Amino acid sequence: MTDRGESALVVRLVAGERAAFEALYRRHMAALIRVAMGIVESRAVAEEVAQDTWVAVLQSIGGFEGRSSLASWIFAILINKARSRASRDGRMVSFDAGGEEDNLAAAFDGRGHWKDMPELWDEVTAERIVAGRTVLAQVTLAIDALPAGQRAVLILRGQEGMEAGEVCAALGITEANMRVLLHRARLTVRAHLDGLVRGVG
Amino acid sequence: MLSCKEVAARASALIDGELTLWERAQMRLHLTICKGCSAFIAQMRVTRALTSIPVAPVAADNDARISAILAEAARRL
Repeated sequence: MTDRGESALVVRLVAGERAAFEALYRRHMAALIRVAMGIVESRAVAEEVAQDTWVAVLQSIGGFEGRSSLASWIFAILINKARSRASRDGRMVSFDAGGEEDNLAAAFDGRGHWKDMPELWDEVTAERIVAGRTVLAQVTLAIDALPAGQRAVLILRGQEGMEAGEVCAALGITEANMRVLLHRARLTVRAHLDGLVRGVG
Repeated sequence: MLSCKEVAARASALIDGELTLWERAQMRLHLTICKGCSAFIAQMRVTRALTSIPVAPVAADNDARISAILAEAARRL
């Protein structure tokens, strides 16, 4: 679904207005590279794929019909390009949630009780993290260490604020699969933050 | 009664509002008596909030790259 602001932006892009493109580029470029980095082998290749994506976006913006948001359309192009680049380089990338266990598997005893009880993150400790290492930078660090599928889901659904259905369409996964990936991704980020809190506290 | 492990597995579904009324009631029952799981759910809420903050736009020092993209797109049209 396209809101009025987005239609206006599309019109400006079709007209070839540089400022419109610049705004779009600045808003999404970092996330495009981060999503691509989960799929291709290096940051350099991810940057190349992101550049290619922008060229493709400008080439086909005239045919954009607003059936999805502009962002999800752009990310779908990126993911296609990143995947074909990865397979050309002999890399197999799957967004499937199957197989890998989540990081809580070892957190419980045989009866399903916590071995080590989680404790509330008190605000003072959280503030100390924010002051010391900037908590958002830590969140980004943790996201960028996730496997491709979890990383893409957390960036698109969380940081880019895309609708669940749009994330699924862009990645070619089911909604059930997306929920599993989102949950696992959050578990890992939570564990990272908990480690920091305990370390600081 | 749900185990802590089962509560943790349903944490995202709970905070994303994807549980049925009955499942939610089961979760609440466990959370009222289990401090560890309450803390865990609170941490997951903070995690969800922190991972839902849009990343700041890239700095405006990409003029050359933007020009290159525009030129390339124009060339291919």
